[in-house]
Amino acid sequence: MSANVNVNLLTPEFILAGMGLLVLSLDLVLPKARRGILPWIGVAGLIAAVATALIYRWDRVEELYGGVFIADRYSLFFFAFLVILGGAVMIASVDYVKQHIKFPGEYYGILIFSILGMVLMASAGELLTAYIAMELLSFSLYVLVALRKYDSKSNESAAKYILLGAFSSAIMLYGISMVWGVTGTTFYDGIAAHLTANPDLDIGLIVGLSLIVAGLGFKVAAVPFHMWAPDVYEGAPTPVTAYLAIGSKAAAFALILRLFSEGLLPAIEDWRVLIATLAAATMVLGNLVAIRQENIKRMLAYSSIGQVGYLLLGVASLGVVDAGGAVVFSERASTGIMVHLVGYAVANLAAFLVVAVVYSRTGSDQISDYRGLAKKSPYLSLVLSVALFSLAGLPFFAGFVTKFYLFTAGAEAGFLWLSGLAMVASLVSLYYYLRVIQRAYVDQPSEGDEETAVERSTFFVPLTSWLMLGVLFVGMILIGVWPTELAAAADSASDALGTVRDVSTALVR
Amino acid sequence: MTLENVLLVSSVLFAIGLYGALAKSNAIMILMSIEIMFNAVNIAAIAFSRFTVPAGLTDTPITVTQQAVQRALTGQMLSVFVITAAAAEVALGLALVIVVYRQRGTVDVTDLTEMSG
Repeated sequence: MSANVNVNLLTPEFILAGMGLLVLSLDLVLPKARRGILPWIGVAGLIAAVATALIYRWDRVEELYGGVFIADRYSLFFFAFLVILGGAVMIASVDYVKQHIKFPGEYYGILIFSILGMVLMASAGELLTAYIAMELLSFSLYVLVALRKYDSKSNESAAKYILLGAFSSAIMLYGISMVWGVTGTTFYDGIAAHLTANPDLDIGLIVGLSLIVAGLGFKVAAVPFHMWAPDVYEGAPTPVTAYLAIGSKAAAFALILRLFSEGLLPAIEDWRVLIATLAAATMVLGNLVAIRQENIKRMLAYSSIGQVGYLLLGVASLGVVDAGGAVVFSERASTGIMVHLVGYAVANLAAFLVVAVVYSRTGSDQISDYRGLAKKSPYLSLVLSVALFSLAGLPFFAGFVTKFYLFTAGAEAGFLWLSGLAMVASLVSLYYYLRVIQRAYVDQPSEGDEETAVERSTFFVPLTSWLMLGVLFVGMILIGVWPTELAAAADSASDALGTVRDVSTALVR
Repeated sequence: MTLENVLLVSSVLFAIGLYGALAKSNAIMILMSIEIMFNAVNIAAIAFSRFTVPAGLTDTPITVTQQAVQRALTGQMLSVFVITAAAAEVALGLALVIVVYRQRGTVDVTDLTEMSG
């Protein structure tokens, strides 16, 4: 009985951890004037990590430590996606950090640790590992949210975030201990085996799974567990808000997708209606409350709650019961979730980056202050409009294609009403996105109006932000008109989820 | 002592923690209540690993397989992890509460109302 530990396979994770430590300690050594290179060192490390992952793990299916860590196409897809996303956030925050955050080393170092947490969430094959990875992400986020130490909004939101975050972890852990008590295992496939053998759910298992769903619901901010999100999003430094809205959500869905498709799929009849209800409530409430927001970060927070609703629709349709009564994994749904996550991430990051640049110039996040943006900076307002159109799901932009994938999967799985509701919700979202665009392009100052913050300020877009916005702009269009490559990658990742891994694990379980 | 008794203690603790976390308005009290919830988790996990006989063990009661060891130890592993994570969580939480206190002179969460809506 030798433990099956091919440590080489973990090289990309080691690179990430080492990079985090390196950036943190370089911050101590470097003189203040030279600290501008820290993010670029970090980005170089992230590129190295992605490259090694792609080289080492391409076409490789392996389980490490007896299935605790799973390396397959699915993990690889999310590794590449999440690390690139983290790198994009890092580049996008260079200007903001220079202006508003006093501790660049801490910011970038902790950002890299949180990326490590995210990728581990996608590759965890067991509840406890998934929990620890999630805490690595959450702890990093608590610190990142609080990094504008002298800003009272930043403090307040961090305090709210950690109190509710710790509360939700405790709830989720109680669920995990219940599930472990009833099934005798914390491994996803062990839970699946238990569910197949005992189709009638034990009451302890129902309680445990509900608590786990509640805990995960907190992390992705699904209604009714969403109360923390708007406040935290508003108070956090803007790049961190972007990261919260995109990265932590994508990682949580990576975890949810693996847990639900590898672990809980046999009991889908018992949870699909629950998840569908959550999805419906989330998309309706998120999109409706977004309408009356005056602060653009808050509006984007509610809109991202709405997006979680669409993603949960995908989760609810993860499995279809065939004529013989057997549960069949729906690859379409999981592909839809992954594709939508990518499209949503690109568009949302672009929107938040524009908000960050505008805030750096004007000091305001109010939607009413966006009047005159098109005159001051046509480029910014163009990217902002495309990003918002993409989030709303207009054709030619990323959001349309990705929503198309997701909603068809939902309709196929028998959730026609939910897919219809999602489309109506998208229409509603178009209304409040258009309000911002109208502010930027159409509104003229009438007689006696005060100048808005945008009109008052001198405007320029820093080079790094300018380039990053360009990349995201191209990305949104590219996914919108030519999604095949992305869909193929997501497809092969879903394949990995759908098949039983044929690996020899030394540790039995 | 049976599994039911210990689980009862654990669930009562969890409920007390839940009540405290929801009803108290002092941030430190909330953190303490959350700590109680974490400890309820520990008790439940340890109780399960002590009292449940794995199905695999009942077939071959004599041979101690690696499977059996792993099953018996998962609960204890879980509680060790939880203790560590909870300590880190509370350390961070208290640090943030101190930052808030320095700025506002209060740790009452009902006063954290700069943002709402």
